[in-house]
Amino acid sequence: MLEPVKLANFFIVFFSAASVILFGASYALLFAWSRVKSRPRLMMLAYAAYAGLFISVITLAFAANLFHNGFWTFIVSLMLIGYLAAPHAIWHLCVGTHADEHGDAQLKAPI
Amino acid sequence: MSQTQALWWASESFWRKTAIWVTAGSFVVLIFLTFDTVKQITAGSKRVPAYANALNHRIDYVFDAKRNFQVPVIGPEEPLFGKMLTETEAEALVSHGKLTTQAKNCMDCHTLLGNGAYFAPDLTKSWLDPAWGSKETREQTMVEFLMNPTDKLHNASGRRMPNLKITEAEARATVAFLKWMSSIDTNGFPSNFKPIDQADAAPAPVAEPAAPAAAPAADAAPAQQ
Amino acid sequence: MAAIGISTATMNGGQKLAMKYFTVAIALFGAQVLFGLLAGLQYLYPDFLYGILDFSINRMLHINAMVVWLLFGFIGSVYWMLEEEAGVPVVGIGLANLIFWIFTLAVVVVVLVFLLVQVGPGEQKSIWLITEGREYIEAPRWADIGIVVCVLAFFYNVSATFAKGKFTNIGGVLVMDLVALAGIYLAGMYYTPNISMDQHWWWWVIHLWVEATWEVLVGCLMAYGLIKTMGVRRKIVETWLYIEVALMFGSGILGLGHHYFWIGTPEYWFTIGGFFSALEPIPLVAMVVHAVFDAGHHKLKSTNNPALAWIIAQAFGNFFGAGVWGFMHTLPQINLYTHGTQWTASHGHLAFFGAYATMVIAFLYIALQKWRGDVYMSSNLVGAWKWKWAIFLLHAGMITMVMALLISGYEQSQIERAIEGSTWMGYFTAQEHRWFMQGMFWRQIGGWIFAAGFVLLAWDLLTIGKRETRPALQVQAE
Ligand code: HEC
Ligand code: HEM
Ligand code: HEM
Ligand SMILES: [Fe+2]
Repeated sequence: MLEPVKLANFFIVFFSAASVILFGASYALLFAWSRVKSRPRLMMLAYAAYAGLFISVITLAFAANLFHNGFWTFIVSLMLIGYLAAPHAIWHLCVGTHADEHGDAQLKAPI
Repeated sequence: MSQTQALWWASESFWRKTAIWVTAGSFVVLIFLTFDTVKQITAGSKRVPAYANALNHRIDYVFDAKRNFQVPVIGPEEPLFGKMLTETEAEALVSHGKLTTQAKNCMDCHTLLGNGAYFAPDLTKSWLDPAWGSKETREQTMVEFLMNPTDKLHNASGRRMPNLKITEAEARATVAFLKWMSSIDTNGFPSNFKPIDQADAAPAPVAEPAAPAAAPAADAAPAQQ
Repeated sequence: MAAIGISTATMNGGQKLAMKYFTVAIALFGAQVLFGLLAGLQYLYPDFLYGILDFSINRMLHINAMVVWLLFGFIGSVYWMLEEEAGVPVVGIGLANLIFWIFTLAVVVVVLVFLLVQVGPGEQKSIWLITEGREYIEAPRWADIGIVVCVLAFFYNVSATFAKGKFTNIGGVLVMDLVALAGIYLAGMYYTPNISMDQHWWWWVIHLWVEATWEVLVGCLMAYGLIKTMGVRRKIVETWLYIEVALMFGSGILGLGHHYFWIGTPEYWFTIGGFFSALEPIPLVAMVVHAVFDAGHHKLKSTNNPALAWIIAQAFGNFFGAGVWGFMHTLPQINLYTHGTQWTASHGHLAFFGAYATMVIAFLYIALQKWRGDVYMSSNLVGAWKWKWAIFLLHAGMITMVMALLISGYEQSQIERAIEGSTWMGYFTAQEHRWFMQGMFWRQIGGWIFAAGFVLLAWDLLTIGKRETRPALQVQAE
């Protein structure tokens, strides 16, 4: 059920795995920043970062032979959907938890 | 103050409960898995053989096409130091060896099962290492090496194992521990390992031990570029 | 919500005790650096101290000094905040002081035995008196029991104080976490001849400490720190503490699976390890979004610049060390080749330094500010170059070391693990490779830079605020 990485792909695996996390964080950062400052144009950049994440996950999946098996394919789709949704969910939480502090928060946050 | 204040999913009490349930839930799952895992890794199970079973037989490490990695195989009778042991004797011997590895702190230079320090070779399959020469002299060579490793240089880096004041009894017990450890099913770690030639001298037209070692190189592992 | 940062010239009893723990912590940090340098040198000059202080001894002292100084730092930090959180003086402060001396004495005895006795015969008594020989928890069994007693006494002090005063949410999480932290340690205190079983329980201690209970402990300290240094409202901080606990424990407890691939444990751990590795970035994303959200709503006016700088360093260190470095080698498809190589060492260094050393140092600065009589520590602080250069050198050294180890580990995973198949000769083929040797050389350079940073840090901690006459800036909860 496990198909170990080929020697030629070691570097790709390390690099794409690191990119997944780095793009994930950039996406979250730009996403939150765009909302905080009400700058829709930053949102474009945020989704560009997500596109980078998407490509990294797919690259990782090929290099680590994740598509050879149903379970690991499921993990790949989980990452793609989960990482897309996470900043949205966390943002809602931020707005919700800070509601009594910043009465104006939800004005800035298109829910 | 806004009216959104009372959002239940953003309230402290909701998250307190969630934290408790998530933690408790994860822990309960872990406990269930632990019961099963402990059963599967108790000596005498399929993955972790009984001490006597391992010490009294030849251990090999061959490629299993179905599982797609090398697995230890318990072969014909080949008692350690030429002496068949009962399970009690075997466990006592392995235990003495294990205590020696702890008292001398082998794991702060070596890795066992891949855990420990990175200053010296991994010992998971040390029993099967081709560097011991021939299978006939292996046991004695290992004992002598452990008791006095300082004057032998086997590598160009100049790194040597120090003399840890290991007695002969401790060395023999440690060899038993190493032999038994090599029989543990580690899901194919280390991969692509090339074991020492253990084939019987005369009648061996069937399977050369080199073949199973080469198999992973061709199939799964990346050995050839 | 009370105004925070009120200057009380004298410290409370818990805070005086905390200063003692902090002092020992810094001394042990120094010992860690020293023995790390010696161990690193032995890669370059194998005959250096050979037969006198062998690699195993230096390494054991290096990592044990780390565990103990971080624990001392945590205990000190908890005592620091305890009275302010609970609103009453520490219950049983006499006992707490006694325990401090017993704990410190035990540490000294263990270090002396490690240095002077080093190894014993292969018998139970060696495990009881000299060393248990299991990475990170090498302390002999008598010391284990002593540690549990000390932690139980500590637990009594903390829970009794909260119980007598008020049990804040931070206090509640902290107390539960301490129970788990001490309980898990018991899993490391038993002997078995079965190495698979041994390593199975050993990971309970190591993984469930660093990726679950320590993370939550740091979360509690961070929550307190945010209220103190930035005046964030308690209700919000505490809700977020619970969110973090849910995410950390939810991904961390079963994340244990990523250590059960190759030690004899069943194949289903591949699945569990893989699944929870995929969840692992979620808490990090949560922190990023929340930090940006907060920064957008609060004016960042800090009363304590060095502490704030180290807290920011903690956020980045945790992200890179645990997040990026962890994810790079956590899938079994690649961990088969990185397992037990310098790759692991690279991750271990960045994660421990980035997530935990930084946090303790931040707390030291919070404590020192008050110790100096609530002195000014914001911009244009007199002698600020010292803390700035210390933080720079420590990070430059750490990053150099970690990148060097990464290159060595990359080479090792290919040549030793994949091509040569991890035999004795295969191991040395990889060790003698040019890339590997250069990695070891640069790690040592990084080590010297780090050591210089440490010296500067120690000097700064001794002197910061000494010539400062201005009072600390005040921050109020909004
Ligand atoms: C101070 C570090 C150190 C300690 C402690 C140490 N070793 Fe070694 N060991 C080495 C080094 C270095 C080598 C490689 C020696 C060589 O190539 O000449 C080695 C080689 C070996 C080998 C042969 C390598 C192989 O792959 O089979 C075995 C077996 C071994 N050690 C067992 C042990 C045992 C058992 C202990 C504990 C009782 C131990 N070592 C403690 C450093 C150490
Ligand atoms: C602050 C948090 C963390 C710290 C302090 C930490 C520290 C360490 C250390 C010291 C080791 C080596 C243990 C040994 O000596 O054998 C290790 C191993 C490991 N860590 Fe972490 N870690 C952290 C978080 C993570 C995370 C979040 C992940 C994964 C996503 C991760 C993945 C791993 C893996 C897979 C190993 C095993 C390496 C091997 O096979 O040799 N760690 N960690
Ligand atoms: C002067 C700086 C340092 C030097 C030269 C150094 C050197 C070393 C060496 C040589 C090892 C043994 C690795 C091996 O087995 O091959 C080691 C292990 C380790 N060090 Fe350091 N170190 C330094 C600082 C630190 C710091 C600041 C931390 C954390 C706060 C740290 C944490 C660790 C850990 C966790 C291990 C065990 C890693 C593992 O088993 O994977 N070190 N160090
Ligand atoms: Fe872990």
